[in-house]
Order: sequence, then structure tokens, then C-alpha cells
Amino acid sequence: MSLEAPGRGPNSLARDLLVWLLVPLVALVPLTAAVLHTLALRPALDGLDRALTDTAVALAQIVEEKDGRTILPLSEQTARALRADLLDETFFAVGDSQGRLLGGTPDLLALAPPLQRGQWHFFESALGGRPVRVAAHGTACGPTGAGVCPVMVAETLRKRDAAERAVLLAALVSASVLALAMVVLAMMAVNRGMRPLRRAAADVATRSPDRLEPIDERSVPREVVAFVSALNGLFARLREAAAAQRAFIADAAHQLRTPLAVLRIEASQALSLPHAESLRPTLERLHAAAERGARLAQQLLVLARAEGASLDPSRRMERIDLARLAAQAADQWLQPSLDAGQDLGFELEPAWVDGDSLLLEELLGNLIHNAIEHAGPGARITIRSRAHEGHAQLCVEDDGRGIPAEEMATAWHRFRRGQGAVGTGSGLGLAIVADIAQLHGARATLSANEGGKGLRVCVDFPSAR
Amino acid sequence: MNVLLVEDDSPLAESIATAMRAQGWRPDISPRGEPVPASLLQDPYDVLVLDIGLPGIDGLETLRRVREQGSTLPVLMLTARDAVEDRVRGLECGADDYLVKPFALSELLARLRALVRRHDARRGESLVLAALRFDTASRSARIGDQPIVLSARECIVLQYLMLKTDSVVTREQLMALVPGWDAATSANALELLMSRLRAKVEPGGVRLRTVRGLGYRLELAAPE
Repeated sequence: MSLEAPGRGPNSLARDLLVWLLVPLVALVPLTAAVLHTLALRPALDGLDRALTDTAVALAQIVEEKDGRTILPLSEQTARALRADLLDETFFAVGDSQGRLLGGTPDLLALAPPLQRGQWHFFESALGGRPVRVAAHGTACGPTGAGVCPVMVAETLRKRDAAERAVLLAALVSASVLALAMVVLAMMAVNRGMRPLRRAAADVATRSPDRLEPIDERSVPREVVAFVSALNGLFARLREAAAAQRAFIADAAHQLRTPLAVLRIEASQALSLPHAESLRPTLERLHAAAERGARLAQQLLVLARAEGASLDPSRRMERIDLARLAAQAADQWLQPSLDAGQDLGFELEPAWVDGDSLLLEELLGNLIHNAIEHAGPGARITIRSRAHEGHAQLCVEDDGRGIPAEEMATAWHRFRRGQGAVGTGSGLGLAIVADIAQLHGARATLSANEGGKGLRVCVDFPSAR
Repeated sequence: MNVLLVEDDSPLAESIATAMRAQGWRPDISPRGEPVPASLLQDPYDVLVLDIGLPGIDGLETLRRVREQGSTLPVLMLTARDAVEDRVRGLECGADDYLVKPFALSELLARLRALVRRHDARRGESLVLAALRFDTASRSARIGDQPIVLSARECIVLQYLMLKTDSVVTREQLMALVPGWDAATSANALELLMSRLRAKVEPGGVRLRTVRGLGYRLELAAPE
């Protein structure tokens, strides 16, 4: 699931949001432009029409009655002044109540519609092949003032066209700027809105089978609370399932302990009592199998404990001196190493760590057991502890057979036994060492011993605070 | 040696009892904890082996009742759990030692011997390993009938080693026994003392083994 790039993936929330925001925007922009255009253009054109009106009113003032006739006493200067315009050509025509031309352009008068007195009429037409805007006005005339004389003013459309272009441009520019701003804001808003989701996703990504604590529902937006809460429910069920599995392993190993004790005791008794020589190999195999079973049960319990401990943030850590831990291991491991014809020795300096004593005991036990199993007769096994450079180090090294370099990396895997493996190893030993080391924030390394002979396994712990 | 074995799993109880009989010990089995305090008053046992997980009152409660009636009998707890809490609680209730199942037979027997030996020494009885005998009352040692001449320091160290037979004893533990010794000045002195002591006791069929870099272990010499 990717929340980073809108548009990627089959179902992007961000893309959907943007589509729903931007598609209507695409339709709305021309509509807005059109509305803006219409609203802004009307007053502009009305203004221009009013200028025509002014000219018409001025003309109407000039119309007078003389000797029973209606005349237009218009000097050439006044006519020029009335026609004066920077951009457009202006025309006028005034007729009497019978429609006869009193002055101005005859063609224009021909365009006059029937007019009531005082009525204004605006329309577009053509004059001399050019489009014009015409204002027609019916002014009172005649001897009694009962006649209606048409006063016509027209001008070409340049100002109008210019105004129309300016308004259109203004509408398009403002609508476009608005649209652009909305696109940017929408993308920012969507991006920002997605941030808590990305955070939640990052939070989920840090979860692993060892780390399944719930995600804080207060840290996510209301809209995804239901989702996160469902996820937390799933985590809880997974935790329960893992706990149940660990409890099952612990219980099974626990139940195995008593019969395994019987098996161990009976096997060693049988070996020590007088028996037919032909039975000896069988008894020895039985004894070895009992020892191995006992060790495996112990290791499974330790694994269950280690995994349980990793999930329990309140687990108890004590201050432990690795030197003391190693000295205490001597009692348990001296005899097995002597029986294997080996020399078990110690080089111990105080090295304090914070840890779980039972698990550390098991870690060291596994290292020593491994060395005894793999080093072979005549080997010298040395357990070292020391504090250096802020670390507490525990090493078990031997000058035995060692293992091939290509097996070193896989040696840490569960149930992986080396090519030349012999003895009672379950293949769990180093995996347990790695698990326990990890639980203590320590790093376990496997290397060839100095001089290339034998094996050295070291665990580097952070020093106790 | 008389052992009271309190274990509800009858195959395990039988198995342990058979192994003990093969050692010449006399084990009695009780599958429950309730009758144990009374049994201890009736019969003279040398050591009590007590499983923690029992039906009825558990091993810890049984031990508490045993200690309540003033018994100082050495007690070894057996447990099928290895939780540290269990160990601590066992020792708090007055157990002298504990073993986690599935233990090795040799381990069980060695621990019981060590417990009884410590108990005997506390009562002023002799400590014996092969032909070597150390009399805690008179603080003297013999091999068979031959007395061994020991310096005061050798005497203190040998008594400790005899108490801890078959266990590794660290140099630090030994140095702490002798007043006025400290690690810096006495490492050589200790080594010297141990080699003199070794020469004196090993003819008695024992071996004073050096554990490289750590300490010593007094054990039976391997049969030739």
C-alpha cells in the first residue's frame, strides 16, 4: 500500500480525492469565466450606449420649430464636434415627424424604427457595409409639439469590441488564476490530509511478530480510527495467538521434563549396571537420545521464555557480572568437557551487564555446550569475559576443528546443523544464543579463532548503566 | 544413607529410588507432602528430596512446615520449572539446593552427597573422600590410619575443599578463607599452598584438580 504518490496503485485515496476536486473544477472554470464575462460586459456596454444617448440628447436640443417647420440648425463645427471620437466613426441623422431627413446621414435615418415620443431604442445594424450600434430616440417636435421626430446616433463597434476583449481577457485570467490556485491548494490539502495516514502506515510498518503493541488511536484522524482500531484488534488477536503458542510450547516442554528425567536416570542406570556386552551400543544410544531430548526440552523452554520476555516491556533486568556467571557455569560444564577429553579454562575480568540471569546462563551454557560438542577431543576451550570500550564481552573459544567459513552465516539458524555435526546438538543452540543476545541488545559474532584454528563465538553486550 | 523422597510421579520416584538403592542408600517414597513432617519426626533421615509440584500442599508449603517444626535436615528441591522466582522461593523457604528436571542421575547423587557432607560437618562429624578423612572437630586429616601434617592455612583450605567435594572452588573463595590474604599479594602464595596440599592429599586416592584460570576441584581420583 502506497500513500505517497497519488495515481499509483489500483486504489488511491489521494487520486480519488484529487479527481473529485479537479474534474468539477475543469467544468467550473469556463462557466465562471462566462458568468464573469457577462456580468462585467453589461455595464461596459451600457456606458458606451449612454455616450450615444448623450449625443442624441444634444441633437434633440438643437431641433427647433421655425415658420411652422421643423429644422435642425446645425453648424458644420457642431456636427464635427458631435462626430468627434478617437476610435470609432460616429453617425447621426435627425428626421422630422414625417420621416424626412433634417440633417445627418440619410442611410441612418432609413434604419429608424417606429418610435413613440420619448422612447429610446438601441440596436445593432449595418451602415455602409460596417456593423454599427444605433441609438434611436423619438423626440417631441412639430408646431404643437405633438409630432415625433426620430433622432438617430450610430457608431462603429471598435470601442465595443475592445471592451468585450478586455472583459473576456479579465474573466479568463481571473478564472484561470483561481483555478490554478485551487488545484495547488487541493493538492496541498490532499497531501496534508494524507499525512496522518502515512504516519499511521509508518507506525504499522514498524510492527513485527515480536512487536505488536497497539497503535495509539488518538494519534490518527477520526476517519481512520475505525480502521486503526480494527488493526489493533488484529494485533491483539495475534499477540494472544503467539502467547498461546508460547504457553503451549512451555507447557509441552514442562510436561516432557518428568518423563525425560526418568529416561535419563534409567538410561544411565542401565549403562552402569552389569549388562550383556551386545546390549552396550543400544544402551549408549538410548542414553545419548535421552540426553539430547532433555537438552531440547530445556532449549524449547528457554526459547519460549526469551520470546515471552521480548514481548514483555516490564521484564525484570538485574545487574549481572559476566565473570561471575562464567565462574558459576564451571561446575556444570567442567565434567562434560573432561569426559570429552578437553581442557576447559577461564580468563575472567569483571564485566557488568543488565540482563535476565536465567537467559544469560542459558546463552553461556549453549556456547560452552557447542564448543564441547564441536571442538573434539584434546581441544582447549577458554571462556573469557572482559569490559572494553563501553561493552561487556563474553567469548567462548576453542582450538578444535572449527567450521567451514561458508557455514558461519547459517550457523545461527534454528535446527541448522553443520555438515560435520556430531553429538547431541539439536541445532537450536546458536539460534538461542542469537535470540537471547538480541533481547539484551547484544551482538553475537562467530569467527575463526586466532591463528585460524578452531572457533570463537563472542557476545558483545552494552555495559550496565 | 536414609533418604525421604517426596515425588508424586511414581515412575520418576521409582527410578530415583532404584538408582539410590544401587548406591547402597535407603530411600523411602512419599507421593504427597502432608505426611512428611510427621515422617521426619518418626524416622532418622539424612536428607529430604522434595518435588515442588505435588498434589495437595505443594513442595514449598511442605518445606515450610518441616522448617517450622525446627528440622535442620538438608533439603534438595526438584522442580519442573526453571523460573528464577521458583528457585528464589525455594531457597527462601529453606531449601539447601535445587535441581531442575530433567537432571542427570550423577548430578542428583553428587548434590545429595554434598548436602549430607555439609550437614555432617556442621554436626562435627568427619568428612570422607576415598581414603582421605578430615575430622572437623579436631581439625586433623588422615589417609587411612596415617595422620597428615597440615599447616593452619592448609587445614582451613582442605576443610573447605572437602565440604565442596566435586564442586569447583574459585581462587577468590579460597583467598577469602584466609584472613590477611588479598588477591594481589597472595596469588602465588595460594598456588604454592595448593601444590603442597596436593602432594599431601593425592596419595589418599583423591585428585586436587586445577581449573585453568578459575580455581580448583577436589574429586575422586579416576580409577587406573
